Amino acid sequence: MSEGGVSPVPREARPYQGQRAGLVTRLVAAVIDGLVVALVLSAGYVALTAVIFLVDPRGFSFPQPRLVFSLAMGFLVLVVYFTIAWRISGRTYGSLVMGLRVVGYRGENLRVVGAFVRALFCAVFPIGLVWVAVSRENRSVQDIVLRTSVVYDWQPKAAPGSPPAPG
Amino acid sequence: MRSRATVDVAVGASALVLEVVAVAARGAGSALRPVASVVLRPPVVPRRLHPARLLDVLGREGAERREPLREALSRRLDVLVPAVLAEVLRRAHLTEMVLRYVDLDEVVAGVDLDAAAARLDVEGVVRRVDLDAVARRIDVDAVAARLDLDKVVGRVDVDPVVARVDVDAVAARLDLGRVLDRLDLTSVVLERVDLDALVEAILGRIDLVGLAEEVIDAVDLPEIIRESTGSMASDTVRGARMQGIAADEAVGRAVDRLLLRRGRRATDAPTIPRQNDRTP
Repeated sequence: MSEGGVSPVPREARPYQGQRAGLVTRLVAAVIDGLVVALVLSAGYVALTAVIFLVDPRGFSFPQPRLVFSLAMGFLVLVVYFTIAWRISGRTYGSLVMGLRVVGYRGENLRVVGAFVRALFCAVFPIGLVWVAVSRENRSVQDIVLRTSVVYDWQPKAAPGSPPAPG
Repeated sequence: MRSRATVDVAVGASALVLEVVAVAARGAGSALRPVASVVLRPPVVPRRLHPARLLDVLGREGAERREPLREALSRRLDVLVPAVLAEVLRRAHLTEMVLRYVDLDEVVAGVDLDAAAARLDVEGVVRRVDLDAVARRIDVDAVAARLDLDKVVGRVDVDPVVARVDVDAVAARLDLGRVLDRLDLTSVVLERVDLDALVEAILGRIDLVGLAEEVIDAVDLPEIIRESTGSMASDTVRGARMQGIAADEAVGRAVDRLLLRRGRRATDAPTIPRQNDRTP
């Protein structure tokens, strides 16, 4: 599909393309991303268990990582996942499902450092998302501090570095 | 030649005789005048018996009968003269005589043709002429063959003629439909029109991209593509997204109302130009 003029976005959604997203959509996307992280952690746990079983089947017992370790791993996965997703396409899986994209202050994709800092900020201070409801510009605390935006972007494909579709 | 000489001699003799007779008559007249006076009025005869008186009576009677006689004679002449004249003309070969004896050039030179033309009732003449019959008898081809049209046209000053032509009226009388029916417009266009330039000019005035977008909007091509490919934006996802947008707006309005804000939120995000978008 050419980006020149024909938009695959449904007609009723076109006026919203390029607008900053509100709290509900972003919360739903965040929940989905949380599920993804949980899924990754679970997969990691299963993989670790399998490795342990293969290494020492007789002395096998399910690993019982401590909470701090689990939180640390979750934190790590979350930061890496967000950094890679925002750098490559501006979308995490949750954003992809909900039609969102994270862009910089000029509308461009985030760079590695920007994506990493934002991922770190979101992981440390997730409650900052609630500020979207209060902000007149639909911006979270992270958006305000880092001058980023989360916009509606239903375009199914976008090359890295390409801007969000304004509809 | 001999007959002409004979005639000349006869004419000369006659002239001589006539001259002699005339001289003699004049001499006799002057000599006989006193005699006649005595004869007509004899001195010794009573006056009422004078021959002159008798002549007077005869003269008066003649005067009285002259008019009836003239009328009678005129009537007879009216009958007689045409018949005689016709017979004379029939035998006289008048045309030859006229041609031989009349100097037609001199006659024509003496005629005031302008005055005659002024007296002519040309309209009446034209009305009486059967122009159709005349035209039928004209061999137009022969006339045209003898015409040197180039010379004629060269002598015509076309500008004033053209200036007097009411082109609008002429055009109004034209049946353009029939003219066009007789023209093979397709071949004319193919031969005379630079189709490439024409197409370029037309395409230059058409916003093809805008037109294509209008058509695509009208047929909702994205919807067709979505339905055929079953992409991410399926009905479920689209419904969830639209509900999310509606919920976003509802939450935003509720919070704004709680915070006693007025006006809409400024949710326009910065954008950068698309890679193939020419607008800044």
